[in-house]
Amino acid sequence: MRSWKRLTISLMTLWKRRSKSDSNLTARFRNEPYLLINSVLAGVIILIFIYSGFFSPVNDSYPVACIHEKLTGEPCVSCGLSHSFSLIVRGRISEAYEWNIYGLRVFLFFALQLVMRAAFSIFYLKYADTRKQLVTYDIASSIVLFLICFMPYIEWIVTQFAQLTQA
Amino acid sequence: MEDFTNNTSQNPQGQITAQNQKPSGQNLGIGALITAIITFVLAVIPCVGLIAVIPGIIAIVLASVGLSQASRNDAPRGVLIAGLIIAVVATLISFSQIFVAGKIGHKFEKDWGGNIENIINDVQENVKSELEDANVSIKVESNGNKVEINTNPNRQNREQELEELEKANNKSNDTLEKKK
Repeated sequence: MRSWKRLTISLMTLWKRRSKSDSNLTARFRNEPYLLINSVLAGVIILIFIYSGFFSPVNDSYPVACIHEKLTGEPCVSCGLSHSFSLIVRGRISEAYEWNIYGLRVFLFFALQLVMRAAFSIFYLKYADTRKQLVTYDIASSIVLFLICFMPYIEWIVTQFAQLTQA
Repeated sequence: MEDFTNNTSQNPQGQITAQNQKPSGQNLGIGALITAIITFVLAVIPCVGLIAVIPGIIAIVLASVGLSQASRNDAPRGVLIAGLIIAVVATLISFSQIFVAGKIGHKFEKDWGGNIENIINDVQENVKSELEDANVSIKVESNGNKVEINTNPNRQNREQELEELEKANNKSNDTLEKKK
C-alpha cells in the first residue's frame, strides 16, 4: 500500500511539474512574438516539404497549376517547380534540374530557412542579452538569402514588366 | 525595430508571467507579418504570383486594423508597420504580375486573335462553297406533327453535267467498239 501511495504522489508531482513547464512554454510563446513567428514559418516550410513528398512526380497530379500559363498560354520561369521539389525530396537532383533550372536554389532557400528558424529560436532562448542583435542578423541574412535564391524570378518579373510597359 | 524581448518576467516560483498586459493589436500584427511574409514569397514565384493578391490584401487589412487599435491604446507598432510594408510591397509585385499577364493576353489576342479569326472565316467560306450543291434537309417535330423540308438548289445543273459526261463517255465507247 505504501509503495502505491509513493507512486501516486510521485506521479502527481511529475504531472504538476509538467503542467507548470507547459504553462511556462505557452506564456513564453504568447509573450515573445519572435518565437511564434519562427514556429509558424517553420510549420509552413514543413508543409511545403510534405506537399512535395506527398505528390508523386510520376503521376503528375499536382493541384497547383501555373496560372500564368493558363492565362497567357506561355510558360513562365517557375513552371515545373512543384515537380522539381518532389524530385529533390526523393533525391533525384539531376532530374529536378531538368524540370526547373532554379528549383534547387529555391528548395535550398526553404531548407536553410527551416534550419535558421530552429537555430535562431534556440539562440534567442539561450542568449537573452543579444536578442536584438540576433533579430537584426536574422532579418538581414534572410533578405540576402532570399535575394540570392529568388533573383532569377525577380529578374524575369522585372524584364517582363519593362518589356510590356515599353511596348 | 520591434523589441521582442521586454514582455516577460519570472516570478519567484520560476513561472513566466506577462509583465504588463499584451499591447493591443499585437496579435493582429503577428498575423499580418506572417501573412505578409508568405505573400511576399508567393508573389515572387510567377506561377502563383497572381493569386498572392488575396493574402496580400488580407495582410494589409490585418495590419491596418492592428495599427488603428495600437494607436488608440498607444501600444508598440513595430510589428504592425513591418507587416504593412511587406504586405504592400508583395501586393504591388502581385499586381504587376497581373498587369503582365493581362498585357500578354491582350497582345496574344491582338497578334494571333485576328489571324485566327481570318482562318475561321476562310474555313467557313470553304465549307459553304463545298456544301452549296449538297442536299439540305430540315426536320421539325412538335407534338407528333412532323415537317420535313428538302432543298436541293443546284441539283438540275449537276444532273445536266452528269448527263453530258455520260453522253461523252458513251460516244468514246462507241468509237472504240467500232474500231474493234
